[in-house]
Amino acid sequence: MNVVAFEREQDNREWSEKELNVLVAAFGTMAPRTGRKTGRKTGRKTGRTWETGTTEQGDAQFYLLGPLPEQSCEICISRIGKRYILEDGSGRLLFEHRNLELVTLHAKAAVPSTSWLMVRVITLWCAVRNTIQEKVEPLLVEGEELFVQFVPQLAALA
Amino acid sequence: MKRDKQQDVFADRPAANAVPDVKQLRKMAGDWLKRRRADAELSQADLAARLGLKYYTFISQVENGFSRVPTEIMGAWARELGLEPAAFARHLLMYYEPEMHRLLFGAESK
Repeated sequence: MNVVAFEREQDNREWSEKELNVLVAAFGTMAPRTGRKTGRKTGRKTGRTWETGTTEQGDAQFYLLGPLPEQSCEICISRIGKRYILEDGSGRLLFEHRNLELVTLHAKAAVPSTSWLMVRVITLWCAVRNTIQEKVEPLLVEGEELFVQFVPQLAALA
Repeated sequence: MKRDKQQDVFADRPAANAVPDVKQLRKMAGDWLKRRRADAELSQADLAARLGLKYYTFISQVENGFSRVPTEIMGAWARELGLEPAAFARHLLMYYEPEMHRLLFGAESK
């Protein structure tokens, strides 16, 4: 006799190992769990940590926390029934779906990352360099040309 | 009578001799909010619905001490708990911005 293995209803209390693996794979490198040794070096870089909790009704919640000293929630992923809810630290609903991987993708996009900061810094540097090239360099060239024109006359006077 | 009850409600405050960090203070605020919600006999879902939130997960986020009550809904949050908004905001400021609270209300809050 064959027994069909139906999908078991999820336990509301805790994140399953599978779910936690997805979440840690998405955020673990940028934020080690508070007190956990693995990945701490990367966490120091971003200053982020993560923690889990539950709602009053026992729905699992995952909090990605910002750097010290505030360590306030940047994003929160909750599981209600079989739906994953993505909110920011102000309670804005950002996304909801039954697929956790999809939710974590949206969550990662919502988190300001170092690479985003690097892009801003590089853009700013390019803008400054461009301004220098356009405004300052012509003045220097002009000064140089004037100098070249006056040098023979100055030499004659001397 | 109601006034006395309100005064008791706002009597909770961080211990004067301890210097809790930001996270601890937010947790204390969350615990205080949870007690006030229980006093109002509301579930997280009830409060979320009254505040116009689609899910009650944010109420949990705040009560677990990971986020603050946003300023824009602080008044509504207070009213739904049956508390006076100004006193509610002032009490939360003690946890969220203790130095600001000390500067604004200093001696009278002790």
